[in-house]
Formats: sequence, structure tokens, C-alpha cells
Amino acid sequence: MDGIRGPAEPTKHNARTIAALTSNPGCARRRVLDAAGVDKKALAEHLGAPAPFGDSPFALARGNVFESIVKANGAAELIRLLREMLDLSLPEVAYHALDNVAGRESLDTRHRRSVQLLREAARSAEDSGTLFAHPLLRLDVGGRAVYLEPDLIAFQIAGRFHIVEIKSFPVIDRRAEPEKVAAAAIQSAVYVMAMRDFVASLGHDPEIVSHDVVLVCPRDFSNTPTAALIDVRKQLTTLRRQLDRLENLDSILGVLPPGLTLELRPDSTGARTRPVGELDEALKHLEPRYAPECLSVCEMSLRCREESQGRTEALGRSVQEQLGGIEFASEVLSLAAGTRPPSIHEEEAARMLRAAHRLRSQCLGETA
Amino acid sequence: MTEALENLERQIDELRAQVRRAATSGDPVRARELRADLRRMEQVWENALAALTAPVVDMGAPAQAGSILPAREQVHQALVLLAVPSAPKLVVSVHTAVFGGDLSSVKLTSLKRDEERSFRSSPHARPYYLCNALTYDRLVPARGLVAVSTWPLARRVVGPLSARVDFLRVGIALAHQVERMSTPTAPVLRLLWQYAANIPDAAPAFDAMQPAVVATAATAELSVHEDADLAHREEAAERARTQLDETHLLFGSSLKVVRRIATDS
Repeated sequence: MDGIRGPAEPTKHNARTIAALTSNPGCARRRVLDAAGVDKKALAEHLGAPAPFGDSPFALARGNVFESIVKANGAAELIRLLREMLDLSLPEVAYHALDNVAGRESLDTRHRRSVQLLREAARSAEDSGTLFAHPLLRLDVGGRAVYLEPDLIAFQIAGRFHIVEIKSFPVIDRRAEPEKVAAAAIQSAVYVMAMRDFVASLGHDPEIVSHDVVLVCPRDFSNTPTAALIDVRKQLTTLRRQLDRLENLDSILGVLPPGLTLELRPDSTGARTRPVGELDEALKHLEPRYAPECLSVCEMSLRCREESQGRTEALGRSVQEQLGGIEFASEVLSLAAGTRPPSIHEEEAARMLRAAHRLRSQCLGETA
Repeated sequence: MTEALENLERQIDELRAQVRRAATSGDPVRARELRADLRRMEQVWENALAALTAPVVDMGAPAQAGSILPAREQVHQALVLLAVPSAPKLVVSVHTAVFGGDLSSVKLTSLKRDEERSFRSSPHARPYYLCNALTYDRLVPARGLVAVSTWPLARRVVGPLSARVDFLRVGIALAHQVERMSTPTAPVLRLLWQYAANIPDAAPAFDAMQPAVVATAATAELSVHEDADLAHREEAAERARTQLDETHLLFGSSLKVVRRIATDS
């Protein structure tokens, strides 16, 4: 693993990257890169295919503004929502801000303080804190500790911890974009998992961390927050499986040539000196499984798309399923045009393709 | 419009030159006539200019209201109404809504620094200081809160319940303020609604909001938390009095933090 990464520091995971692990579990390239902690962004840049996404400053600003509205005045808005939704009792209003400890913001200090307060809260059934803003949790990912920072943890709602996730995408007419909700759900599942590990380490039942997370979003076109409960049991199972798989890479690593490395060899000024061609060769040993969804979650996506050009998988899973095992786009075209006889497995797909081809030429006539 | 003005200015300049020539050439009758023309022309120019700038002058007038007091006094005024350590944003919105004026939260930050400097150089020279609230556990400045030095120390210390307690207290203070006003203005009502909406049974809707009901509802919830909160605060205040010197009592100490964390670990 360390050999693959080279001497560079392993990149740090966060809730978002851990959540992204679940989006394309079949991709061997991604699994190896993530497990080794390779800086995928730098790698993709060096290969001339920089990631097509990043944090938009506008989205970040919007997110921060909304979060500060929800948390203003001891999270007054949130207390109202929790009282309405989860029957939070009246005396439960204690609010601990953990985004800095006595003016210090180092991860270690904050983590220690978070542990201290949450331990107290878990131990005593008494009112020893209800809302914990930005506590710092730790989760073990691929053998390395990762710091995670949920927006808020609420405790003592019927004796259970609830993760509260504040997102700034709107819920319009009680509907939100399903993709964004799914992303928020899996991200919250990461927090639930970290929290459960933590509670278990204290000797409590991990089940006191609820699998229902509270998602807080702006309602309609206003800044008024609204909340919903999301069951993340399914996401938890997937996540747990992915994290376990991250540690069991023997089957993939076994077939890799010894001495394979993806290091970028930065010189003293930080410029990357590794020849691109050499890196290209090394990367070819790690088989990607590109799907269009990768574009929004993986830094390597543009590079993998380039590699999978001409293959049917690049057109997305539904197309691939319909074409049933035909690997290249050129084969698809020749089957459709009838210039190549289909094999036994390809007959059904070929029939469909020829029909589609016929329809197309009938519709478009000569222009096709 | 400006073109017309420029035209006028050119004509006025010409007239002035003619007046000068007539006066120096010893023709007083002609000079007097030209002067009358000049005055008429200047009056036209004045009127044109007034027409051009009138709307700006009208809009500028109300913005000046309430800003006679220095920023420090304005902050104090708002804090006296709020009566709890408050975020600069709240101080500004309360001041703007209730007293009117052009206070900005940027000014507030530098203000607090000035206060500390002033206190350090000559302690107790002023009747009051704008100072920090202290956290109950470490007695360091609580983030983003402004307080007044004349308040009892227990009020300036914030514990885990204080955010809610102070929220309810501000709700009550604003409700009373609205009750006192003969015709409450929209900004004040909007501010009160932000509180009423998050207090159980305070108001069903913005239009149906009654300040007396808001105050009663807030008082009811306050009675639930008040004792526990006060216990936290008084205990911390007692500790602060024995541990901190005068300056640190008002502005908190950051030196203290390092030492305390070092002993923690």
C-alpha cells in the first residue's frame, strides 16, 4: 500500500469521500487508490485530466449562512423542529458549541473535548447536554483514523442520540431532489457509524445512536428551516461492507506487479517530476469501472472516461444492461447495421438494435 | 439634464466676461444690465441643479436620524434593552429596528478592542465598558457576544443553558418594547416574530401575534430552565471572582486557556 502511494502523506478522508466509496463498489482502481490514500486530485491533474468538480464558493457560503440561521440563539429554530418532530421535552435545551475549545481550534483539542462531553452525556441519564454542535468524532478507515465533524448531535430524545445534518438544498412542496437527499443520507450514515463506534468503545449499546437521522433543509424558497427523519439503516450496511472491503484488498493486490507505484515525485519546489507516460503505464494495472455517475463523485473520472471510450459501459448502466454483454460501441454499430452476424448470446440485443436502426433510417431517411 | 447645465455654465461664463469688459471699459449702465442678466441666469442654473439633486437629498435625510449618538452609546442603548449578552448582529438589528440609525456590526468588533485598551490604560475611567461574556467552563471570552460591564457577573457568564435562557429573555424584552410602542413598526414586529415563532404557544401566526401572549409564553418556558441556568452561572461567576483579575473579569483571558489545557492533558 505504502509502496503504491510513495513517500507522500496519505490524503485524509472526510465524510464526503467515505460516502463516495459506496457509489461504485466494483471499481478496483478506486478501491486501491482510496485504500492507499493516494491523492487522486493531484494524480488526475498530473495526468492532464483534472477533476471536473470542486467546492463552489457560492454553495459553501450559502451552506454556512443557512447553518448559522439554524444554529442562531442556541439553535432556537432547531429546538422548535425537534420539539415538533421528536417530542423533545421542554427542559432539553442545553447547547454546547464544539467548533472551538476555549478559542483553540486544533483537531486534537476539539476531539478530546467532544469525547469528554459526549461520554458524560452517554453515561448519565440526567440532563447533561442536549445539543452538541460540530463535535469531532474519529472513525477508522483503511487502518487510518479519520476525523469527522457532524453538524450537530442531539441527545436525550427518548434516551437516544440523533445525528442532525444541516443541508442548504431546498425542500419545495415537501419534496427535495432525491439525489441530494441520498447523498445527505449516506453522509449522515458515516456520522452514525462513527458515533456508534464511539459509544461502543465506551461500553454502551451502539443502538442508542438512532439510525434515524434528522435532515434540516430550507423550506420552499425561504430561509425557514424544515426537518425530516431519514432512516439510514440500508446506507449503514453498505458503508460497513465497503469499509471492510477496503481492508481486504488481497485479491487485487496479489495480481499487481511488484514495485508498482503511483508516486508523483515532487521536487523541493512541489513540482511533480514523474513522467506522465510512466504513470500511465502504472495506472493501467488498476482496472477502472467507469460509469457516468463517477463524474460527480470521483476525481479520476475524466481520466477513466477517456480510457473507456468506445466501450458500452461509458454510456451508463441502463444502456449496458440492455446491450447484454456487448463490450464495444463499434460492435454495437456493426450488429445494428447487420454487417456482422450475432453470436448466440447477442441475438436478442442484435434484434433490438436492428429494429432501432431500421426505425432510425425510416425516420431520418436520407439524412441519416 | 447635465447637458443643459453645462450650456448654462458656458453662458454664465460668457456673461461674466462681458460684465468684466463693460465695467472696465467705463460703461456702468451696460454693466448693470449685464449683471441683472447674470443673476437671472445663475438662478436658472441653481434651479436646474436643485431639480437634478433633489431626490438624493430627500433619501439622505432619514438615514441621518438617530446617528447623533456615538456608536458606543448606540450599542449600550441596545444592550440595555436586551439586558443579556448578545451577538453583534442582534445588537445591530435591535438598534436599527427600535432606535433607528446606522450602526454596523463591523464597527462593533473594533469597538470592543478599543474598550479593552481604554480599560487597561486607565481602569474604571468610564461609567461602563462594552465587554465580553465569559464561558462557564474555562472563563474565556465567549465567541461572538457583547456585554456591558455594569451587569452582575453571573449575567455575563454563559453556560450550556444560557443560550436558550437568554433567547427567551430577549423575546420577553422585545415583547415589552412592542407593548410600549403606540404603533409598533414593521422591523420591530418582524424581530419579535423571529422569537415568537420559536417559543411554544407564543403566537399562531405573524398577524395574530400579541406581545403580551409572547411574553407570557416565553416566561413560562423560562421558568423551566431558569434555576438550572442560574446555578451554572453563579457557580462559574464565583469561580471567576477568585481566579481572575479585574481586566480578565471583563474581557476574559486567553493566557489562561493555554495553561489550563496544558494541565488537562
